[in-house]
Amino acid sequence: MTAAPAPQDAAVPPRPLDRGIERGSPVLSVEELTVGYVRADGKTNVVVADASLTLRAGHILGLAGESGCGKSTTALAAIGYRAPGSRVLKGRSKLGDVDLLALSTGQLRSVWGRRVAYVAQSASQALNPALPIGRQLAQPLTVHLSLRGQALRDRQLELLEAVRLPEPARALGRYPHQFSGGQQQRIAIAIALACRPEVLLLDEPTTGLDVTTQARVSALLRSLIDETGVAALYVSHDLSLLSTIADGLAVMYAGEVVEHTTADALRGRPRHPYTQALLAAVPSVHRPRAVSGIPGRPPAAVIDDACSFAPRCPYATNTTRETHPELRELEPGHWVRCLRAEEIEPPLVEERPLVRPAPDGRTPLLVVEDVSCEYGGFGAAVVVKGVSFAIGPAQTLGIVGESGSGKSTLLRAIAGLHPPAAGSIRLNGKDLPPRAVKRPRSVRKEIQLVFQNPDSSLNPRQTVGEIVGRPIRLFRDDVPRSGEREAVEELLDAVKLPRGMRGRYAAELSGGQKQRVALARGFAARPSLLLCDEVTSALDVSVQATILELLAELAEQFETAVIFVSHDLAVVRTIATRALVMKDGEVREEGETERLFVSPRDPYTRELLSAIPDLVAEPAAPTGNR
Amino acid sequence: MSVAPGAALEVPSVQAIEEEAPPPSIWRTLLTSLEGRIGIALGVVMLGVIAFGRFFTPYSPTEIGTGAAATGPSADHLLGTDHLGRDVFSRFLAGGDTIILVPLIAVTLAFVAGGGLGMLGGYLRGWPDAVITRTFDLLLTLPPLLLVLVVIAGLGTSRLVLVVTVALVFLPRMGRVVRGATQAVVTNDYVAAAQARGERTSAIVIREVLPNIAAPAIADFALRITYAVIFVSTLNFLGLGAQPPKPDWGLMVAESRSFISVAPWATLAPAFGIAALSISFNFLADALTRHLTRETAKGVVPL
Repeated sequence: MTAAPAPQDAAVPPRPLDRGIERGSPVLSVEELTVGYVRADGKTNVVVADASLTLRAGHILGLAGESGCGKSTTALAAIGYRAPGSRVLKGRSKLGDVDLLALSTGQLRSVWGRRVAYVAQSASQALNPALPIGRQLAQPLTVHLSLRGQALRDRQLELLEAVRLPEPARALGRYPHQFSGGQQQRIAIAIALACRPEVLLLDEPTTGLDVTTQARVSALLRSLIDETGVAALYVSHDLSLLSTIADGLAVMYAGEVVEHTTADALRGRPRHPYTQALLAAVPSVHRPRAVSGIPGRPPAAVIDDACSFAPRCPYATNTTRETHPELRELEPGHWVRCLRAEEIEPPLVEERPLVRPAPDGRTPLLVVEDVSCEYGGFGAAVVVKGVSFAIGPAQTLGIVGESGSGKSTLLRAIAGLHPPAAGSIRLNGKDLPPRAVKRPRSVRKEIQLVFQNPDSSLNPRQTVGEIVGRPIRLFRDDVPRSGEREAVEELLDAVKLPRGMRGRYAAELSGGQKQRVALARGFAARPSLLLCDEVTSALDVSVQATILELLAELAEQFETAVIFVSHDLAVVRTIATRALVMKDGEVREEGETERLFVSPRDPYTRELLSAIPDLVAEPAAPTGNR
Repeated sequence: MSVAPGAALEVPSVQAIEEEAPPPSIWRTLLTSLEGRIGIALGVVMLGVIAFGRFFTPYSPTEIGTGAAATGPSADHLLGTDHLGRDVFSRFLAGGDTIILVPLIAVTLAFVAGGGLGMLGGYLRGWPDAVITRTFDLLLTLPPLLLVLVVIAGLGTSRLVLVVTVALVFLPRMGRVVRGATQAVVTNDYVAAAQARGERTSAIVIREVLPNIAAPAIADFALRITYAVIFVSTLNFLGLGAQPPKPDWGLMVAESRSFISVAPWATLAPAFGIAALSISFNFLADALTRHLTRETAKGVVPL
């Protein structure tokens, strides 16, 4: 460390780039990294092939891709971490002139935390709940830098100030559970930056945080990286986020980097069909925009004798199905792994929401009046406070809010799972009994529920046929016992699953397929109102898009009204015709989706909207060089 | 690892599913693991001895003075004689039934009652759960042997009393396992989905909860049998179960242990019997647990 004192502004962390490194100069170069997992039969499953990345000082390289594409494996292998069962088959990862992949575990221990730091997705799991954060922050400082006493304390405070944690001096003695999720992640970032590392690995650092918190934490990360000059690798599934925060972007598919360029070039003119399809699947809050999913499912391992995307690619030819494409430089700095990259254009995405507004003016289907919900008995926490709204037949209403806004509880109250403390819920003009068991069968039939996580909402001991068949048996008087099998198969057709899945257990299906089964169960009773609780939140973006398309299609086909609860504003804008913004149990704003998203009236709605990065390049910005 | 060229868009996913081997059946796993094999082999032999041994006894198991008292193995007496001159081999062949029957019936009883209560508490939560759990806790504070001593002192030693007290000892232990498993299952949305459909509680418990707690419950059941075998032999050894002159392994150990230096087999044979039986159950329970937990991890358990 140089003798220069810290700048006057306490929020600015110490001395950027004090190692004599120029901003943008290469710090860590990963070359031809190939990682495999050893299977039980002794063979090796290659999961990452020939990944080459360069991390530069003060720059963020975004590593994007859907779950299972190998992005986290690549990132962790790049710093020498060997996941149990994994094996680096080829490649180098050079930090200066040291190859991290050639170091022993003991040698790595002196590198990790000091020269290379890592921020995990979930700070609540990364921090030790039994130790005050001051001790956890001190650990790298004493181990690597041998700081003691006042010097240690000064550095601790400096770091907590740098991550803008309120009251740093008092925070040192507190335990992780005394901080919010966003604050915990700030602390984790402070620990990572403690020894002024040269390389910072961020593995989905803001996933799981609320939108507004997410925006603040990622803005903090950007400014810290600018100030300290650390070379960052930012792993995320969120392309919109990466395209605004990162300098360079690499997109991975089936264990390979398929496109690698600057963030601007990528969103201006994506060249690989997968990148294009992925961008078309991302919903937007800032414009009315349909989404289109990517059909099929990625391969489980690296494919080396064909293009791995060919089975799902609209541009596939016999040549692309039989030749493995190499990564090639299409334009300076723009690398693409596609044989036909020159010929193809990004598909146009329709500038319209998925759902057309249903004719209004009919009598409302469901009226919620002044509903309040509580948890616990005496001195209960009120989580929904006097909410009123109405929804007409075949309409789609979106309810958005951050965690703790009471949106899911409200939905459970409508479903009869959480009796409201006050207020009334009427369906077709008739009061609904608070508990589902007390509701007449004809009412239960009309309201069906789809949950967020199909792993939890589908009984693992029942076959798809049993799961979908149950509401049919209970509610469909028009289907005789002998016709149940056919009714199930029709529903599987409707959700675009092969009929053969009837005999399968949920665990045998992919995430998207499971959610299709959940949708099929939701529509099985032919309800007039379908309640959807974060139904796409556990899914990858390309799968989310297919589920949204499917939901919109089925709602239109069966003329079902949908209440769609989500924390994701973009999804709500895409699927809903009317929207409701909730905060702390109250409705902050309600209106037609278009009006609400274009000219929000409530300050909270405005804050939410401004927190979300826009993936599509601004119309003013140049889109490519043509 | 290539995908067939020209594969239609939905096809890869279906293929991927059909390529996966069906999960191995429970018998297959038991027979392929070493523990399972030993457990089954030992179990079959021991059950055979217990069930049919009594028809092949060379002497009456209770007849006194079939030969000299307390002798080692000879041509007439394969395992020698005990201190009353009874044939040890005959007593061994005839003496295993209490040790298998009492634990089986008692543990089944405890399983049904304790499991039922535990499931009820785990599902209903609130005050019924509090009452049930506290009752379990209360029963758990009583030392097992003390509990049995008190009951037997009051009601005498009949098989019925033995079965009921052993069941009482195992009831809270099994109830807690089932309650824990139920609690974890009840939070799942498929239970909420069933409640929203307005299903009756009995239907929810049978269709949604029971199949999902079967794995830990069955594994626990198998393991408890082992404990019960040892517990019942202890009771018999202490004279709280089977009464002389009935041939019984636990009792035989107790009666002949003073003569172990002159007639070792009168003590060792029944001890080996108890050990073999509990080891075979233990191995089976282990193999079963491994099978069930592995399959639950994947979400599928063929039962």
